[in-house]
Amino acid sequence: MKRLAVALVAVMALGVALAGCSSGGTSASGKPSILIWVDTPRIPQATEYQKEMKGKVDVKIETIAQADAQTKIALANRAKKGWPDVIFGTAADTAVFRDPSNGYAADLTKLVPKKIFDGFGEGNSDCLFDGKYYCLKNDLANTVLWYNTKIFKELGLTVPTTMQEFADTAMKLQGTGYSAGAYGDQLYYAAFLQSSECPLAQLTAPNTVRIAPSDPKCTRVAKLIQPLLDAGVIDKRSPFDAGFIKDVAAQDKVAMTIGPSWWGDFVIRPAASWNVPAGEIAAANMPAWGSGNDNKSGAYGGGVFTVSSHAKFPQAAADAAVWMTTSDWMATAATTPTFPAYGPANKLWEARISKDPYYANNVYTAMAAGANNISQVDRPVRFPFVAQFGPTLAADIVNGKSLTTALDDYAKSLQNLAPQTGYKVITK
Amino acid sequence: MARSRTTRRSLIAGSIMFAPYLILLALFGVWPIVQAVLVSFQPTVVNPAGGLQNFADVVVDARFVPALLNVIVFLAMYVPAMLIVVSLMSLLLDTVQGRWNLPLRLSYIVPASMTGATAVLIWYFMLEPSLSPYQGALHALGITQGNQIWRQGGLAWIFVAMAFFVGAGNWIVVQYGSLQSISDDILEAARIDGANAWQIGLRIKLPLIRKYLVYMGILVFAAGLQVFIEPQLISGSVYTGIARDWSLNQLSYDLAFQNNNLAGSAALSLMLLVVCIVAAIIVIFRTDFFEGTGVAKHDK
Amino acid sequence: MTSETITSDVVVSPQHTRGIIKSRGVGALSGRVLVWIVLTVFGILSVVPMIWLVLAPSKTAQQLNNNPPFSFGSFAQYGVTWSNLLSQNNGVILNWMANSVIYTASIVLISCVTAVLAGYALAATALPFKRVLLIITLVAMIIPPVALVVPLFVEISAIGLYDNPISVILTSSFYPFGVFLAYIYFSNSIPVELYEAAKVDGAGEFATFFRIALPLSRGLFGMLAFFSFSAAWVNYFLPYVLLQTQQNFNLSVGLGFLFTSSPALNPQNGAQQSLIGRPEIALASLFLAIPVLIVFIASSRLLVRGVLAGAVKS
Repeated sequence: MKRLAVALVAVMALGVALAGCSSGGTSASGKPSILIWVDTPRIPQATEYQKEMKGKVDVKIETIAQADAQTKIALANRAKKGWPDVIFGTAADTAVFRDPSNGYAADLTKLVPKKIFDGFGEGNSDCLFDGKYYCLKNDLANTVLWYNTKIFKELGLTVPTTMQEFADTAMKLQGTGYSAGAYGDQLYYAAFLQSSECPLAQLTAPNTVRIAPSDPKCTRVAKLIQPLLDAGVIDKRSPFDAGFIKDVAAQDKVAMTIGPSWWGDFVIRPAASWNVPAGEIAAANMPAWGSGNDNKSGAYGGGVFTVSSHAKFPQAAADAAVWMTTSDWMATAATTPTFPAYGPANKLWEARISKDPYYANNVYTAMAAGANNISQVDRPVRFPFVAQFGPTLAADIVNGKSLTTALDDYAKSLQNLAPQTGYKVITK
Repeated sequence: MARSRTTRRSLIAGSIMFAPYLILLALFGVWPIVQAVLVSFQPTVVNPAGGLQNFADVVVDARFVPALLNVIVFLAMYVPAMLIVVSLMSLLLDTVQGRWNLPLRLSYIVPASMTGATAVLIWYFMLEPSLSPYQGALHALGITQGNQIWRQGGLAWIFVAMAFFVGAGNWIVVQYGSLQSISDDILEAARIDGANAWQIGLRIKLPLIRKYLVYMGILVFAAGLQVFIEPQLISGSVYTGIARDWSLNQLSYDLAFQNNNLAGSAALSLMLLVVCIVAAIIVIFRTDFFEGTGVAKHDK
Repeated sequence: MTSETITSDVVVSPQHTRGIIKSRGVGALSGRVLVWIVLTVFGILSVVPMIWLVLAPSKTAQQLNNNPPFSFGSFAQYGVTWSNLLSQNNGVILNWMANSVIYTASIVLISCVTAVLAGYALAATALPFKRVLLIITLVAMIIPPVALVVPLFVEISAIGLYDNPISVILTSSFYPFGVFLAYIYFSNSIPVELYEAAKVDGAGEFATFFRIALPLSRGLFGMLAFFSFSAAWVNYFLPYVLLQTQQNFNLSVGLGFLFTSSPALNPQNGAQQSLIGRPEIALASLFLAIPVLIVFIASSRLLVRGVLAGAVKS
């Protein structure tokens, strides 16, 4: 029957004279050809690589919506064609891609020189699965405390160093019209839950995941933050919400917010975004939940490049991933808002950002302090850990439900989804 | 003898004429359903044995019931809204013949050109209080923030509004056309009996186009059951993931291409398909819509 | 949500003219005023989004957010918006437009030809299993095309046509509604005597079809093409699943892709690295909407006058 179908379609296809060209493969001249999928912020560096490789490698670039990465690869896996040679995504995407049931991600351990991995240091730990590297980390997106020096001076506030001080400082904003940030999206997880090391994707064994919203490290978060929400000093809207931007952020009313390292150049500064004037914004170390080691940062974003195991030119593809994550060009371009994970590139980036007159202090110091101190409790997992923020955690916060309910709804959805990707779930 | 030769020639000619469509029907109408049945019994990650258990697994999936409820709420608003507004508007339109009739009809079909991503973009602007031309109306309703509408409880309303505006205008024009087929004698008789415009509309015209309205209701229901594009697109916008797995069709899509569970996806597709086929059979055999088309046995 | 929404009688009904209801007294007059208000308000509500959409690309993203919704930016800004749109992946929008035209034209051609042939075969020839074929066609006509997307994807990828435009063209050319329309037309609107006369003259089925039926089917073709076009031009879900390479997208899928991958409505996608903002999305939306609008407006008379009137006059 299937063969009949093939024959019939082939006959009909002949009738329709249409050149449907597919991508990839060798170009006419015989030089390697690779296809790279990146999200919009990574377009400038991909375009530069395309330029630099002209005459050596044919580089094709396509944009994707980051949230579609897994679906698009799943479609290609089913069709057994149409894979990109290099893809930008999250480490969680790589966790899916390297699973034998998917098989898209190539083992990079041999394709990438050891000195590159050395250069990453701890920065590439998200890409390490069972002792092998399956991706290269583009940037570290650890959270820091962004604060507005003008507002702090006006109100006579001191910069908080612990979460308790953060809460106390935030409460002082009550009635002043200033805000301590908006957390109604993934940011609530990164800023508070993850930094508190609340176990929501903790791998206790290779295929066993601990999702335990009743852990004290989870419950202490709602206890501290709920009063701030109730008092209105932090906003339940998303930091990208049009209303929040118009009424609060673009009015220069955000006194402080916890946010990832890329927020300065990407969210706070651009005219089309928060549009905060120059000379006001500074960054401080991520406030600590407790003493000693209880001082982790969260991470919001932090993309990786994964290489296809189906690539016709694996070396060319791996080289592209290396260039995208380590090149000097990427590190020094004004279009790179993110903190490079690769050590040497990071040094160049530091040279640029630390002298940037837009900021009121050297913001690099706080970023660097937290970069190698990101919580390692939650690991990249195969179930849709990030995608579930939208319909559960973020939706609940925005809708005004309690933070405890929001976390429970989120955790419950993960507990339901994890077994479908082959995990055993521990809820205590 | 001559007659049967003619019949045989006619049979062959008819078959040749029907063949191209039949191939498309077999390949893209029948074969996908056969394939879905086969795939739906395959083993999955959670159910290595495969079989009918796949259907049960889909139903007990934590995302299934919320999505089902969403779709039910959506349909409960969308189908009646379409039926009531389309009937009313086409009846009203029918009473105003003359030079303004055509411009009105043209204006009603304008929104039908704004589907999919266009509809989502437009409704984002129409419903975001800081950007909307209907700011005053939104504020009067107590809506001053986008997130007061763009939230779980409000999504069904938004998708109904999107689907309604895309579909209603075309249907109004079509049902207006149905009204034109009513014989003038009937209406004149009613008028002589002293019926006023309202009575004529409700007691005479409406019953006469009832079967077209039923047919429309079934088509609108079948399309609404499969709602996908609007929730899928809005999840990729400002409110990231807000309508993830909101509808059953999205769940089917995610099962196939996120959870790597093609069998579950096929099972869910089939369940939705069965509902559509039942609706189709009702309209074919239990209504008078296809009367005289050769479907019913008693037709000549 | 599909446009396959016309009923059999509409197709064959000639236009009637309806006398304006005479108003009697104050009550009837206020009733007429109310009717006009309802009709006009509904018309305004229908047109407002389109006006907004036409004005949006004349403004910069900032102006779009800060200026009144119905303000006009400048004519020059349309040009700027258009060149911003062209910046996306080396003008891939031009590919999308060309694809939309090619796919839609192919779909309209194949779907209408197969539908007319099949409809004629059902109505006027000694085709076997007529009733069963008709019922299957009716069922297929009521099932929305979206329902079969995942199984269709499995089938298409199994036969190696994934990411090939032919897959979109062929799957979208399956047109049971068109077959039904053609069947009704050939069985009700053309007098049987015409076919009989031709056959008595010794003409075969094909000759009868080409000499008698086809010349009378111009109106039918218009109707079929109208519905086929309006479904094919905005086709989203099927090409979204069946096509992978961006150069192969149609405008509708391309627009959806711009929508989710650009910073226009999702600032997390990087406003500094992309020129695609809300005005650009609005302009792309216009390119998608305008052809549909033109075809709808051009066909609106056809929709009411019906096929028969058109066929007789031509």
